[in-house]
Amino acid sequence: MHLGWFTNFLPPSWNRTWSGRAADTWASGDFHINVARRLEEGRLDYLLLEDSSYVSNTYGGDFELELAQMSRAPKHDPMPLAAAITRETRNLGVIATANTTFYPPYLLARLISTLDHISRGRIGLNVVTGAPNQALANFGISDAALKDSASAHDLRYDMADEFVELVVKLWESWERDAVIQDREADRYIESSKVHTVDYDGQYHRSRGPLNTIPSPQYRPVICQAGGSPRGIRFAAKYASTIVALPKGEDYMRKYCDDVRREMEAAGRDPEECKILFLVSPTLGDTDADAQRRREADRARVDERVRQRLSLMSGGETDYSAYPLDEPLPELDARGQSVTDTFVRMNAGKTFRSALADDTTESVELVGAPETVADRMGEVLESTTGDGYLFYSGSGQLTMRYVDEVIDGLVPELQRSGLARTEYTGSTLSEHLAEF
Amino acid sequence: MVKKMHLGWFMNFSRSTAWTSPWVLESEAREWMNGDYHIDWVRSMERAGFDYAMLEDSSMVADGYGGSMEVDLKHSLYAPKGDPLSIAPVLAKATEHIGIISTASTSFYPPFLLARAIATIDHISGGRAGWNIVTSSEDRAAQNFNLDKLYEHDTRYEMADEFVEVAEKLWSSWDADAVVMDRATGTYVDHNKVRPIDHVGEYFKVRGPLNVPRPPQGRPVYCQAGGSPRGRQFAAAHADTIISAAQGIEDMREFRDDIRRRMIDLGRDPDSCKVMFITTPVLGNTEAEAKERWEAMLHPTQAGVDVALGHMGALTEIDFTQIDADKPFPELTTNGHRTTLEKFLKLGKTPREAAGKWAIRYTDPTFVGTPEKVAAEMSRVFDEVGGDGFLIAAGGSRRGITEITDGLVGALQQLGRTRTSYNHAHLRDNLMEF
Repeated sequence: MHLGWFTNFLPPSWNRTWSGRAADTWASGDFHINVARRLEEGRLDYLLLEDSSYVSNTYGGDFELELAQMSRAPKHDPMPLAAAITRETRNLGVIATANTTFYPPYLLARLISTLDHISRGRIGLNVVTGAPNQALANFGISDAALKDSASAHDLRYDMADEFVELVVKLWESWERDAVIQDREADRYIESSKVHTVDYDGQYHRSRGPLNTIPSPQYRPVICQAGGSPRGIRFAAKYASTIVALPKGEDYMRKYCDDVRREMEAAGRDPEECKILFLVSPTLGDTDADAQRRREADRARVDERVRQRLSLMSGGETDYSAYPLDEPLPELDARGQSVTDTFVRMNAGKTFRSALADDTTESVELVGAPETVADRMGEVLESTTGDGYLFYSGSGQLTMRYVDEVIDGLVPELQRSGLARTEYTGSTLSEHLAEF
Repeated sequence: MVKKMHLGWFMNFSRSTAWTSPWVLESEAREWMNGDYHIDWVRSMERAGFDYAMLEDSSMVADGYGGSMEVDLKHSLYAPKGDPLSIAPVLAKATEHIGIISTASTSFYPPFLLARAIATIDHISGGRAGWNIVTSSEDRAAQNFNLDKLYEHDTRYEMADEFVEVAEKLWSSWDADAVVMDRATGTYVDHNKVRPIDHVGEYFKVRGPLNVPRPPQGRPVYCQAGGSPRGRQFAAAHADTIISAAQGIEDMREFRDDIRRRMIDLGRDPDSCKVMFITTPVLGNTEAEAKERWEAMLHPTQAGVDVALGHMGALTEIDFTQIDADKPFPELTTNGHRTTLEKFLKLGKTPREAAGKWAIRYTDPTFVGTPEKVAAEMSRVFDEVGGDGFLIAAGGSRRGITEITDGLVGALQQLGRTRTSYNHAHLRDNLMEF
């Protein structure tokens, strides 16, 4: 199976038992660099850096909950961190998130091409389209059609389709063998192998060519996380790996079927895209020990409620007006699969218990490493998924958790033959295509 | 005690300028984009106590020369060039003291995106990030960014003024003490110390706040290079350091004095901005050897002339293939690099003559000789001009780099002219140290 780690350039856990002093110095990038080194020791495919570009004051009309919880902010730019991480590692892929609604395509195509060179072929681009009103406002975008709604959700994907098409054209505007380095003719590049792209779309225009040489992967890995039908269609067209969060085995299986059907419809081999499910295993010395840990974690109801409320308050709905002890309110998904799933999973509960029970994982994994490893194998069999992305909650990452997964769980997966013990390729594309 | 000078290096994230030289590894001329060469380069500069590395940038493949990309790509003049914001954090993590200044254009970046990227790099580097503020000068670059042509010269500077204003508001949208990490109340950030900026201007509309706490330096060091009156005014208003290509001691002094006057008029302390003059020293073991190198450089091949005119064509979007290289210049104007064009026209009567000097990055005064002699000569010019330092535009190979960092700077240190160690953690503090 393929394995990755999902995190972001947020402060790590800062006020819990195993936080240490990481949160004092995280902005230097050193904590995340150390995490990446550990992931490489576990021979993971990649580290994915999620991102967003705003501080929300939706909840209660101020920044209090948002900033006290730091589930979304402060969040530093993943691109400089990705560059730094790739220089401190040798094999691990690094996928950085960028939003197609905010980046000029040329700028992003060039940035990713440069990072692919710096990493010697280990960079990936996680394409996101989500643009809450408060993020739009940071970029001065006042187009009503893009404001938070189901139609805006689909429009953003239409724009993203063009965006990615253009970015790929820019990457391919230099033929692979354009750099000839002919010392005798004093000719560094064969200019007949470099072409303008002259892209003139409905949403994006760019002349090209790019001003960087062809990068090691030529077409750096594209990652996507769409859960909606439109998002899946988009992912099926471009992605080599997908971050997936369907909850429960039936939905996981259906998700895989949907992606692969859309890939075939788009003329792609379904093997070309690896679907990785988000999981947050709770590990212990024994199954009972792990169970106790998960229960203790679940018992911190107030804290969990605040975390989830904060996470959910990135859009336009102010949940501070919703009584916590009444049945789950009507929620407008605005095309977002995450909200749909929350409603489905928590029907009949009070808002408080729905929030307290909510987790960001496709399937619950609790037990000793051996138990969890077996279960991970079974679930992949039954759902036909390609692997997992570990995630410990935004702003809740500790090195201890990383060590438990890398030194406890991954070796069990390796012993069962479920995870690689050595890298065989050198680029992220090669890691993903290895099996 | 003699007055100390500041040192910077004018770099770009591109292949070695001397890729055909016997002193450059073939593999490195191909794989420079992995960053190894630039890491070594900046480490050498740090060893020599340089204030900063300045990464120049542009966003196009030029075809101003003969309407074809051939000359640009054959000699790799403008392209390929990697993104400076990608290599800056890598250089920062590979060093401990030196400042890393990245170029980014106010015409192409959304302000929020750039303010956030640079704030992140300032954090990653522990307060050693700088921003070289450019407005871009090529329609060809604009056409990569959804525009038919660049905004008009003075409009670009108006936009840049507002861009800087927005960026500063974003960097100040978090109080310096907003991250309280209060364990008792479980509060990481005190929300009372973070505010939206609600900027609504002529060119930009930005709500804020930034989603990054205030950068270690408060705001990154600003670098600027505009030589036109509008550019000088912009630089005097904002810059912590200015790059100047003024030629001759008179012009250098005039430029620096003008900047200082403008700063005083704007209510700034003139010592709070360091003017750095671009120079290309030519060094040798002996005077004779240095002179020999210099003579060889003075007589460029036809390829050298093509390169120079290709460069100038890219910067000004004037097609020099349409102009007789051996006749006096006709009247020429540009919406691009105005100051650069003026300087180029002054280098010679004909395109060929000017190209010859351009090709060797001719700078006046010329510094040719042994490290000791050049160090003494630079000190003399520095004293006559009044300050503040030099920006080296040279290198091309590791040998060329160490000739400067270990040879020339060694001699400058002997004279007490440059620092031998860093006294401050932040780039701005090192710049303002003397």
